[in-house]
Amino acid sequence: MNNFGVIEVASQKTKNAPGWAYVPDTGLTPAAAAALQPLNRKRAARDKANVGAPDLTARQDAKIRKDLEALDKDSHRDAQIPIPPKAGGTRAQNKHTPNVRKILQSQKTFANHLDDYQAFLALAESNPQLAAQVNKPTPTTAATTATTTARNSPAPSTITTASSNKRSSAAPKRAAATAAAAAGAKEEKGGSNKKLKTQPQPKPVAGNDDVEMTDGPEATQETMTPDSSEPFPPRPDTPTCLEPSTTATPTTTEQPKLQSYPPDGTILPAYNRPPPTPHPGDDDPLLVSRVPPFPTDEELRALITAPPLSYLEARAQWTEEEEGRYPARRFCEVCGYWGRVKCIKCGARVCALECLEAHREECLVRYGL
Amino acid sequence: MTGRGGAKKSRAAGPAPPTTTLVLDNGADTIKAGFVSDDKSDGKPRIIPNCLARDRHRKIYVGSELEKCKDFSELAFRRPVEKGFIVNWEAQKEIWDREFFDDKAAQKCDPSETRLILTEQPNSLPSLQTHCDQIVFEEYGFASYYRGLGPVFNAYRDIQSIFRTPQSTIDSPAQVILLIDSGYSHTTVTPILQGRPLHPAIRRLDVGGKLMTNYLTRLLSVRHFDMRNEPYIVNEMKEAVCYTSLDFKGDLEKTWKGTRGEKREDYLSGAGIAKDYVLPDSHTRFHGVVRDYEPGVSARARKGIISTEDVLTLRNERFVVPELLFNPSDIGIRQPGIADLVKQSLLAVPIGLWPGLLANIVVVGGNSLSEGFCQRLQTEILKRFPDECRVRVARPEDPIISTWLGAANFAKHEHASRLEVTKQEYEEHGAAWVARKFAAGLGLDP
Repeated sequence: MNNFGVIEVASQKTKNAPGWAYVPDTGLTPAAAAALQPLNRKRAARDKANVGAPDLTARQDAKIRKDLEALDKDSHRDAQIPIPPKAGGTRAQNKHTPNVRKILQSQKTFANHLDDYQAFLALAESNPQLAAQVNKPTPTTAATTATTTARNSPAPSTITTASSNKRSSAAPKRAAATAAAAAGAKEEKGGSNKKLKTQPQPKPVAGNDDVEMTDGPEATQETMTPDSSEPFPPRPDTPTCLEPSTTATPTTTEQPKLQSYPPDGTILPAYNRPPPTPHPGDDDPLLVSRVPPFPTDEELRALITAPPLSYLEARAQWTEEEEGRYPARRFCEVCGYWGRVKCIKCGARVCALECLEAHREECLVRYGL
Repeated sequence: MTGRGGAKKSRAAGPAPPTTTLVLDNGADTIKAGFVSDDKSDGKPRIIPNCLARDRHRKIYVGSELEKCKDFSELAFRRPVEKGFIVNWEAQKEIWDREFFDDKAAQKCDPSETRLILTEQPNSLPSLQTHCDQIVFEEYGFASYYRGLGPVFNAYRDIQSIFRTPQSTIDSPAQVILLIDSGYSHTTVTPILQGRPLHPAIRRLDVGGKLMTNYLTRLLSVRHFDMRNEPYIVNEMKEAVCYTSLDFKGDLEKTWKGTRGEKREDYLSGAGIAKDYVLPDSHTRFHGVVRDYEPGVSARARKGIISTEDVLTLRNERFVVPELLFNPSDIGIRQPGIADLVKQSLLAVPIGLWPGLLANIVVVGGNSLSEGFCQRLQTEILKRFPDECRVRVARPEDPIISTWLGAANFAKHEHASRLEVTKQEYEEHGAAWVARKFAAGLGLDP
């Protein structure tokens, strides 16, 4: 545009005047025009910040991650401290067995070991046989001969695949157990008739629910519902030959057993110490405490014999519903009080003006914004 | 090569079972070690720093040699235990050698005549466990050996006396306890039933003493001096001044300096929270000193009027650091706090065990020494469970050596002879068999 060397500096302001107006030249496309000339100037700053918002949180996330990694380190600088030589008399250095030599020379960190283990688990899931071969143990000593390794050869595969299988099948099993327990509860509500059909267990620890009992620490209500034992064995709906007898005399046969809490079990023995001295309030229905049903032997057996979880499984994590239940608390990055103000540039939280100023000095240096 | 029967016979007829037991609680920060035998035993373990340390004159201290160190400034550490598990055996062997096996060792023992009971953290990696077993038998040749979960050994202590429950008999192992072990590397929750850990319910929070020390280091470096090369001094400071707040909001309010120009009474007076910490100057003073807050002292020190000592005024740093155990999300760790950890653990066991577990919560490990920890934990747990549940949280007098004391009792218990593996068995059956035997534990037999 030739306008004789005169450069018109168009103001960004739109001036309204009667009849005509200076308007910045925004080109032709309406989209570009909208970008250059937002309709509502009041919101411009906020909209601009929003454009960068995902980037900003990503940056903050990265910062948090970096900070946590730093907090997890043993020392600020990587200390390479060699093992000092012996002052007096050296030990014989060369008599290590091959295994020991390998272990001593290994420079692996815990992270390396963990990665190896995860990789191994993944392999075991996709290809169990190969995994069994990989895990074949090195002979322990020179003394171990082929016979012992031959005898042990199925062992490593069973232990490792068992753990991986357990891991993969744990969730469905747990789900099935809870489903069965829910079903059990439903049936309990439905009536005691059906429940009695399922009595023929090898060890019927049963009783009906409406036995009145005296209050006490070892004998409290809720009668250790036998239902909770039943989710585990298959639940046959077919009536059995034992049914008539159990339905006929449930109370008379079961009552003596209920005197002990927990019920007779092999894992946790019954409470056999003298009960505490009676108290006049013991019979007060308002003071009766509810004691949850005692776990049955099957449940306890399953718990005690369960294999250990793997390292990552044992790490506590928020469940999905709990994850966002409470918002994370934010603190001032300078003084540690509540972070009530956000820095516009980097999103860091500070408490008030004084800390904001302190933060700004650093903020400019750090990000060069 | 003898068969299985032959091995049994030779075990019965062969060398007598060892009479002394070396009980070793091999922690990430310190080793707790002592001997136990039938007639006499060490009442208390020796506490050995489990590290190689280098001071600023580049002198290296191994294990208990650290006692000789006077100047702790710029002390750098190398630790053989990472995340609670022995990873670097080169360093670990050096420390063990110097403490137990050298001619001049402080607790000299002959492995071939000794039984070893070694603790490990729950949910270890199989490869690390195998390494451990191989070193114990192939390098040292202990006569017999048991490697068990550290938290579980606590069940062999007299738990009810910790709770001060009147009782006539002592259960060993305790029938049911919920053990919280908050150590250097992490914090674990382990429900234990008659000395058997309930594996599906063990949970871990990756917040431990190390992380808290590092966090305090960061806070101090931002607010006062650069302390990043002084882990030892900061750790000492943490142990001296940090406490668990019972009223976090209120304490935070009291320690706020206020907005610009504001003069808050609580801030100026310190409100009983602010403390002065005099840093060691490594000439006359080698350990820090805590003092009550004197308004003006640190300000003058900062201006260089009194330059003989460096004084830090600690305010919210004192309780924000242990708060990480209860709210790890404060620094962005996406894990539940210790009370939710207990809840998640209990959700994995039948509800019938809850009353027993909740009424017998035992806290061990160095972090539990922070003032107010048990009380805070108890109130937080109470909030998460039904009103009927009685919650008792107790800490033994000596939470750091509690695991060792339990393991020492275990060494005398008949369970130890059931669980141990002899060197002959190892040589015959191999490392995988040993690992399986230890993983199976006591099983169901009483």
